[in-house]
Amino acid sequence: MSAPLKLVDHVSAINWNRIQDDKDVEVWNRLVNNFWLPEKVPLSNDVQSWNTLTPEEQQLTMRVFTGLTLLDTIQGTVGAISLIPDALTPHEEAVYTNIAFMESVHAKSYSQIFSTLASTPEIDDAFRWSVENQNLQRKAEIVLSYYRGDDPLKRKVASTLLESFLFYSGFYLPMYWSSRAKLTNTADLVRLIIRDEAVHGYYIGYKFQRQLETETPERREEIKNYTFELLFELYENEVQYTQDLYDGVGLTEDVKKFLHYNANKALMNLGYEAMFPSAVTDVNPAILSALSPNADENHDFFSGSGSSYVIGKAEATEDEDWDF
Amino acid sequence: MAPTLTEAPAKPAMDYHALNAMLNLYGPDGKIQFDKDKEAAKQYFLQHVNQNTVFFHSLRERLDYLVENEYYEQAVLDQYSFEFITKLNDLAYSKKFRFQTFLGAFKFYTSYTLKTFDGKRYLERYEDRVVMAALGLAAGDEQLAIDLVEEIIGGRFQPATPTFLNTGKQQRGELVSCFLLRIEDNMESIGRSINSALQLSKRGGGVAFALTNIREAGAPIKQIENQSSGIIPVMKLLEDSFSYANQLGARQGAGAVYLQAHHPDIMRFLDTKRENADEKIRIKTLSLGVVVPDITFELAKKGEDMYLFSPYDVERVYGVPFSDISVTEKYHEMVDDPRIRKTKIKARDFFQTIAEIQFESGYPYIMFEDTVNRENPIAGRINMSNLCSEILQVNTPTTYTEDLGYDVIGKDISCNLGSMNIALAMDSGNFGKTVETAIRGLTAVSDMSHISSVPSIERGNDQSHAIGLGQMNLHGYLARERIFYGSEEGIDFTNIYFYTVLFHALRASNAIAKERKTTFAGFRDSKYADGSFFDKYVNQDWVPATARVAELFRNANIAIPTRADWEQLKASVQEHGIYNQNLQAVPPTGSISYINNSTSSIHPVASKIEIRKEGKIGRVYYPAPFLTNDNLEYYQDAYEIGPEKIIDTYAAATQHVDQGLSLTLFFKDTVTTRDINKAQIYAWRKGIKTIYYIRLRQLALEGTEVDGCVSCML
Repeated sequence: MSAPLKLVDHVSAINWNRIQDDKDVEVWNRLVNNFWLPEKVPLSNDVQSWNTLTPEEQQLTMRVFTGLTLLDTIQGTVGAISLIPDALTPHEEAVYTNIAFMESVHAKSYSQIFSTLASTPEIDDAFRWSVENQNLQRKAEIVLSYYRGDDPLKRKVASTLLESFLFYSGFYLPMYWSSRAKLTNTADLVRLIIRDEAVHGYYIGYKFQRQLETETPERREEIKNYTFELLFELYENEVQYTQDLYDGVGLTEDVKKFLHYNANKALMNLGYEAMFPSAVTDVNPAILSALSPNADENHDFFSGSGSSYVIGKAEATEDEDWDF
Repeated sequence: MAPTLTEAPAKPAMDYHALNAMLNLYGPDGKIQFDKDKEAAKQYFLQHVNQNTVFFHSLRERLDYLVENEYYEQAVLDQYSFEFITKLNDLAYSKKFRFQTFLGAFKFYTSYTLKTFDGKRYLERYEDRVVMAALGLAAGDEQLAIDLVEEIIGGRFQPATPTFLNTGKQQRGELVSCFLLRIEDNMESIGRSINSALQLSKRGGGVAFALTNIREAGAPIKQIENQSSGIIPVMKLLEDSFSYANQLGARQGAGAVYLQAHHPDIMRFLDTKRENADEKIRIKTLSLGVVVPDITFELAKKGEDMYLFSPYDVERVYGVPFSDISVTEKYHEMVDDPRIRKTKIKARDFFQTIAEIQFESGYPYIMFEDTVNRENPIAGRINMSNLCSEILQVNTPTTYTEDLGYDVIGKDISCNLGSMNIALAMDSGNFGKTVETAIRGLTAVSDMSHISSVPSIERGNDQSHAIGLGQMNLHGYLARERIFYGSEEGIDFTNIYFYTVLFHALRASNAIAKERKTTFAGFRDSKYADGSFFDKYVNQDWVPATARVAELFRNANIAIPTRADWEQLKASVQEHGIYNQNLQAVPPTGSISYINNSTSSIHPVASKIEIRKEGKIGRVYYPAPFLTNDNLEYYQDAYEIGPEKIIDTYAAATQHVDQGLSLTLFFKDTVTTRDINKAQIYAWRKGIKTIYYIRLRQLALEGTEVDGCVSCML
């Protein structure tokens, strides 16, 4: 079933001085400023906190992160790359390469969390679980099959749903822990990832909308139906997956609301109306408030590095600045 | 095709974390939901605290139990009659104290209150902790104990975390907040420093080290060239030491290191905080500070190179460690001296690098060395600051014998802190008494502290009795009075307020000196003794410049000291001295300002609804004090207010504070390194002594934010 990945067949030198779409530059700059590496976060400060979790909670946490690792691996090695041939502008291609790289950074970050908190057999167990869990594998298969397909719009839909929807059943847990003062440095790291994914989902959705505008009404209708069908397919699977993970700790109901909320968010990124009524998207405010990708936490420097620092713009001072 | 999920499941009672988080989400009417936070505080007591508090039938039963089970220190209680303790207890409970916010209550019960040894149940309510702190600090003085209870439970004075947390407990850390130590250029001193880092972290408090004297990478050892590894490996050792030792798990050991800008390793020092620094040299949890003399600014102004000098050679040439000479004074001499090896970098590049690193990490802190020393009333030299950049005191080196024993015990620095709530102090009417009680409470901590594991600290404290009275809730007060932070009236108030505090602080310290017939060591050589400290107060009038500020003080019945008052105080100080070498330092007040319902320090609020993240409490939301849906405009946040108004406000306070003030600068992420540099130049010109963190706020890309979130709105 796997058709060979299509590569770009024509390349011309990218000229950043001729911009067709300002969004490309805006997003590129944002992504570059947001560059980070997991080494920055003092994860080892969480070891004490990790030891206060019950074995079930630890196992859940490991599984959640292996699930996320799988998704980030897909997105880094296949997803973002598969979007490159469909790019409308050369700058869009550049942005995808950045996205692909950061996804690989994310995937590696989870390994960093594992190796800081857990032992090798525990890590191996969690990875084995990720291979054996049907719902997780199914999720990967669904998305992969669309990446391999030949419809650029459908690829973007799949990618946006992944970035804006599928990640979040996993993101719920570290946000939940951090609202309970557990694993707060891990949460810092995950918030950095959320900060990136929010931009990725938004950007791919934006590009999807631009492309869709050029299509016929029939084709638009087809894509819309496809989107809702795919979302529903993924949603049903995601509910199963959520139950697998969270039933043991009694959080399933709340995570589901979170899924609804993010499904709506993904649809919004694609320019569609919400699918779930607000009655079933009333996520626990502690989680929702933590989700904001704004870097506005007033963190205590002595217990963590925070998630608000960015790489700044260097500008030399001028003589007039030193006029004293 | 869409699923028909229309019915919401029945809702159980909301948990307090969720209620608290609703503060950050606008209500259906588009207003901030303050009542949800009140409800969160209430539910926290109902669902958690009350169920987990150990119940006692009487005070006697409670105290007996706590002493017998080694929770309370018997010796503290033995200083008083049981009748008096009962009276004090009743006094505290008669005040009907209530936490104003969820975070206040949550923070207190998570981090301060006494718990059973298994950590599961609470043994103290807020009133109990206040009483125990007062009993401990007053050391048998009943009137002082009563005064302390009145001031603390009244919210006007709040001892710093280590004091409030530990006083009266049998299993406890030290009461002191801060330690500052020098490191000299020899292995004995470096080894002793690691040991001090461990010992002091174990006991609590932040520890800062000056690295300026350590020879640079590549410097000779025993005259053999290219031997020294420089300061980075020392930083690594210190960082690991701090991570290892923590205060009974209460908080991670925290440390800072300071380096002179003209040290040859300065760029390597800064690069340890780079985003892409190699693991071997990356410093994650140690805080950095740079000591910048005036000459560096002069060189940058002229666009010249700045020379970096080998501490090893400087010490050989001048016979004193690098940190004990003024780089500004000796700069050209050292440049011309062929015995001192030197390298050079562009001065402007140096400042730009600082700004770049601050963008990425918030560090380094900056201490303006010459400003600090010009304003220092004590004989000696200040060459470093501490973890929060508000402690500025003189030190002297320690020398060691070959077996690592002490040859000459030098003088290192400790400081205990406490802060006044500006709004409540203004409300009380008896301002002088509030200041005096605070000074006496802080002095008690100094008297009670004997850190024998680090003799240079013990000796320094014994000689200096240094304390640091701070202030908080400036923005809360100004906003309540409908004055904008950084406005003419706001700055005028800050000036007159700090002026009045200084007067009463000196008056109190002078009173203690009179009572005890002793002063701090070195009083005779200070600017207090020769009277020059008082010049600016006896030679000119200090009165409010605006009618509004005059009115505020008049309505509060607070007398603003006159020149005659100062003449009198000057005479008394010159005759009797003062007890405390240092009196004021304005700390950043994180935790205690939440308990006390204050805005932090004299900063503007970081946000109307602050998102607070800490290891111990997780992510919690905190409404600015006195904020309502009707006075939102007065709560412009620090990022909107911008660096200039913050610096102006701090400059007004700085002129009346003998030590420093933790000054954080806040920038939006649209600024460049040049904007940060400009703010630093402005701060230096305005006489600011130190700059603490640089905080950046990056807003979500349009289209990716969470809807209806209070902290996301501008």
